[in-house]
Amino acid sequence: MMTYREAIKKSMDLILKEVPDSAIYGLGVTDHIGIFDTTKDLEQKYGKDRVFETPISEDSMTGVALGLSLGGIYPVHIHIRADFLLLAMNQLINSIAKYRYMYGGLYEAPMLIRAVIGRSWGQGAQHSQSLQSLFAHIPGLTVIMPSSAKSILNSYEYVAKHYKNPVISFEHRLLYDYQFENLEKEENPLSSKLLKEGSDITVIATSIMNEEAIKASNFIDKNISLEIIDIHNITDMDRELILKSVRKTKKVIVLDTSWVSFGVCAEVSRIILEENIHLKMPIVNLGMEKATCPTAKLLENEFYTDLKDIVDSIYKLYYEKENHNKTLPSDEEVSYLHKHFRGPF
Amino acid sequence: MSYEELFYRALRIRLIEEAIIEIYPSDKIQSPVHLSIGQEHHIVSFIENLKLEDKIFTTYRNHGVYLAKDGDLKLMFAELYGKIDGISKGKAGSMHLTYPKTGVMGSSAIVGAIYSHATGFALSQKIKKEDSITVAITGEGATEEGTFCECLNFASLKSLPIIFLIENNGLAINIPLYKRENYKIKNLAEAFNLDYFHFANGFEFENINRETDKIVQSVRENQKPTIIEIDTYRYKEHVGIGEDYDKGYRDISELKKWQDIDPLIQDRKLIEKFTPKIEKEIEEAMEFAENSPFATREELLKDVL
Repeated sequence: MMTYREAIKKSMDLILKEVPDSAIYGLGVTDHIGIFDTTKDLEQKYGKDRVFETPISEDSMTGVALGLSLGGIYPVHIHIRADFLLLAMNQLINSIAKYRYMYGGLYEAPMLIRAVIGRSWGQGAQHSQSLQSLFAHIPGLTVIMPSSAKSILNSYEYVAKHYKNPVISFEHRLLYDYQFENLEKEENPLSSKLLKEGSDITVIATSIMNEEAIKASNFIDKNISLEIIDIHNITDMDRELILKSVRKTKKVIVLDTSWVSFGVCAEVSRIILEENIHLKMPIVNLGMEKATCPTAKLLENEFYTDLKDIVDSIYKLYYEKENHNKTLPSDEEVSYLHKHFRGPF
Repeated sequence: MSYEELFYRALRIRLIEEAIIEIYPSDKIQSPVHLSIGQEHHIVSFIENLKLEDKIFTTYRNHGVYLAKDGDLKLMFAELYGKIDGISKGKAGSMHLTYPKTGVMGSSAIVGAIYSHATGFALSQKIKKEDSITVAITGEGATEEGTFCECLNFASLKSLPIIFLIENNGLAINIPLYKRENYKIKNLAEAFNLDYFHFANGFEFENINRETDKIVQSVRENQKPTIIEIDTYRYKEHVGIGEDYDKGYRDISELKKWQDIDPLIQDRKLIEKFTPKIEKEIEEAMEFAENSPFATREELLKDVL
């Protein structure tokens, strides 16, 4: 058993131990919180040269990652909120994503950028965003959303040791305390994963929405069988895995942690609609409502898709009608963790 | 290095760019060009003091830097022509010349973006305890980006072996300095605790060569980040091969002032002495570029990831 948080901490330690020319830095990596206890004590263990704080200068510190990478140091740059990546868009998109291609393959810019999606108690407009599709749009970047401890352990070791391109990893704050049993080695850590085989409905999900899909699968009537696909690699999702499943079930729900339009939901729908597959029911896309994230709890609960929405959609698809008269999860069953999380932020 | 050798290097850059001007209307060069003409002298004088392992990051106005740091001329012309033998297979063009073999680590068309690349590279040199230094070369306009101050702070905080070389030509695109800046770069150096040196005449080959040699040595030995500001003048328009003194943002008297003291115009004896050799080299490089094939479709999706 291992929590998501422990898996990240273990991976950070492993990178510093087994990738000799590596460095971990970012605002807060050496303070008492240590990026939610994923970087604590690393400075003492590996030294100030390899684990260090930065000024509050996200754009420049992102360019520094590129310089370090070109200089042969593998950088892990950490943002305690994904929203801060918006201050580094110029470096990420104009320089880092393009360095390899623009110079005709003369350079490689391997690096890992960790960014935490801050969804939880009152994080509001600027501390909660899920920005994966903004970055996934850009050729040259690899965007991943590890959904489990296993995914963290495999992905982070792999990208630090073997992958030669810049990776942005979105970690979900609410996953940090989830316990995971399965920690086995994966052969292709950067691929999409079949989490559960099934025959009635294909659920394609990102990040914590995979946990929601599993909860939904456990909640619904036992005669309904879900196939769950964890996209994981947002920039290079496994088309064949998705299409094979959709051809089988002909019913699809896409679950994303972000806005539906122009995002992962839109992209998965595109991939499916470009094929000649006759779906039995229209695709269902579930994500955040098209508004800025509100702070007040009641509004926040309405803003995010929850287990109730997912189970409702499953029954509608399965019975092919709006009124299925099935029992939906109670408020308490929706998610104890999501509703009672009180930090640390 | 002697005046004559520095002169040769600077004249070579000037004649290469004049050849670019001549060929440009044919559309053989497949991208915008930002010419260094007027700014060659200090570049060769400064760069001569760098070692092969020392790195440079610079901007779209990079022909002079590329050539002064021994970038290959044939590969440069092939790159400008968009040919497969270009240093970056034609994917970079004029604005993104690079030559990793000699330490030209990249040229950005985003003003100021390279300060942090250079700072990060200098940090890697420091972490690896290397004896080399990194140089960021930009115009003064790029110092208006917030990242300049951010990088001065970080370089200072970490005592990095880095030089920020600011070519002050008084112009950012078509906007004169007085409309853009209400600060002195010198004061920024002081605020962030960097060493600062100023040269009021970029055309002084030997003086700049001698004095920046001391600065380079000091940065190498003491890991003290340093700003060097050099006043110079851009003869041509911001982008392109023409002149734009009729456009109202600057006066031709400024050009005359610099041309009157420009050794690359005034020293006829050395110009005559070196021109034939350089012209032959240019001719060969252009022929190489001419004979190289264009990149084809299979190149399009290479090196994305």
